[in-house]
Amino acid sequence: MKKKIFGLIAALTLGTLMLTGCGNNSTGSNDDNTFVVGFDAEYPPYGYMDENGEYTGFDLELAEAVCELEGWTLVKQPIVWDNKDNELNSGSIDCIWNGFTIDGREDDYTWSVPYVDNSQVIVVNKNSGIQALTDLKDKVVGVQAASAALSVLEDVEQQKALADTFKTLQTFADYNTAFAELQAGSVDAIAMDIGVAQYQLNSRGNGEFVILEDHLNAEQYAVGFKLGNTELRDTINADLQKLKEDGTFDALAEKYELTDMVCLD
Amino acid sequence: MSFQVMLTQLTNGLLVTISIFVLTLIFSMPLGFIVAFGRMSKNKVIRWITQLYISIMRGTPLMLQLMVVYFFPWYLCKIPLSNGWRFPAIILGFSINYAAYFAEIYRSGIEAIPKGQYEAAKLLGYSKSQTFMKIILPQVFKIILPAITNEIITLVKDTSLAYTLSCVEMFNAAKQIAAAETSMMPFFIAALFYYVFNLLVSFIMNRIEKKMSYY
Repeated sequence: MKKKIFGLIAALTLGTLMLTGCGNNSTGSNDDNTFVVGFDAEYPPYGYMDENGEYTGFDLELAEAVCELEGWTLVKQPIVWDNKDNELNSGSIDCIWNGFTIDGREDDYTWSVPYVDNSQVIVVNKNSGIQALTDLKDKVVGVQAASAALSVLEDVEQQKALADTFKTLQTFADYNTAFAELQAGSVDAIAMDIGVAQYQLNSRGNGEFVILEDHLNAEQYAVGFKLGNTELRDTINADLQKLKEDGTFDALAEKYELTDMVCLD
Repeated sequence: MSFQVMLTQLTNGLLVTISIFVLTLIFSMPLGFIVAFGRMSKNKVIRWITQLYISIMRGTPLMLQLMVVYFFPWYLCKIPLSNGWRFPAIILGFSINYAAYFAEIYRSGIEAIPKGQYEAAKLLGYSKSQTFMKIILPQVFKIILPAITNEIITLVKDTSLAYTLSCVEMFNAAKQIAAAETSMMPFFIAALFYYVFNLLVSFIMNRIEKKMSYY
């Protein structure tokens, strides 16, 4: 019996070892022909898992198109958003390409050309009675950890004064949990990017949530590279320009309903 | 996303979870023995070092240890990481952590054997290694089995901590599907998978325990 069990365990190990590394992640290395894009897999429509269980999104398809131009192999590496700086600085990813806000981080990364005009907005329950930013006084507001929305709310020159009127500023690891809490009533509002907010509202359907008309700010998205990595940045910039010219860029923007927001010209 | 795709994705995650689980056991259980002997060594320095090791491994969160293991080559030695380091780092992190716990379990078993048995064995002409392998160890194995089962079941659930290093094991897969689907359903399925996995582990450990109750 014991032998059988050990045999079983051994067979299981070998089997799983052959079947998996860590998903398909362990194959990527930073040699010349792979392009490792770090992204938050819980950030639709820029990067997420589609109906077939594949990672996709506006940004990932753009990265795919760039890789086709350059003859690189794209490695889509989902990362924990809090750890993005560690991942980028240590070299385990080549860039962060995932609805990545420049504003407030200008000096922290080497940036590509901006390609999306974004704003930070507030989402509330339809029946909450909250209609303007001033109504958020003494309310619990949720925001993703290490996100652009959070830095807007913490920046003295932007919305720090507003954030000070909140009862609590509650940080979440991902928006799905934040929405569950909004639905359950433990938070009153969520601050997030408008593109993501629209996706969430569309896929949750029933008109339960609304986006407040007053936006927190206006900002831009670009691809973030490790500080000083201008060589890779210049290549990507040139490729983005090419994709704009041959129409790929606009076609993708239309596919993800971002036509009103893209700003590459 | 159809239910079937969801299940396939979660099963892919489960395979990663199983590899972390099995590999961690393979490395940490023998390593635990070495640590246990170090902990009981007559040499003061070795004893002190292993005690420090155990105290650090048990005294800090596993999540933090995983991050330290993954990022230390870069932050301490400035060696650029490759994406392929992710999985080995997870196994290393889990193994050195669980070895500390296993070491203490082994020690509890070894120290539970009365001194009289060593003396009796010596009288009967057993050498030191014979005494340990033939008399002590089989009894130790029996004594520690329930504690080992406990630890193994904890390990099944702890594999979800690999999420910190962006490894797409079952918990992370469930999170990603949940985000794409804006639903909580994948978490329930993942919970069910974990539960069935542990049911299987307890069943196997029970069988072993029964086999061992020969006196």
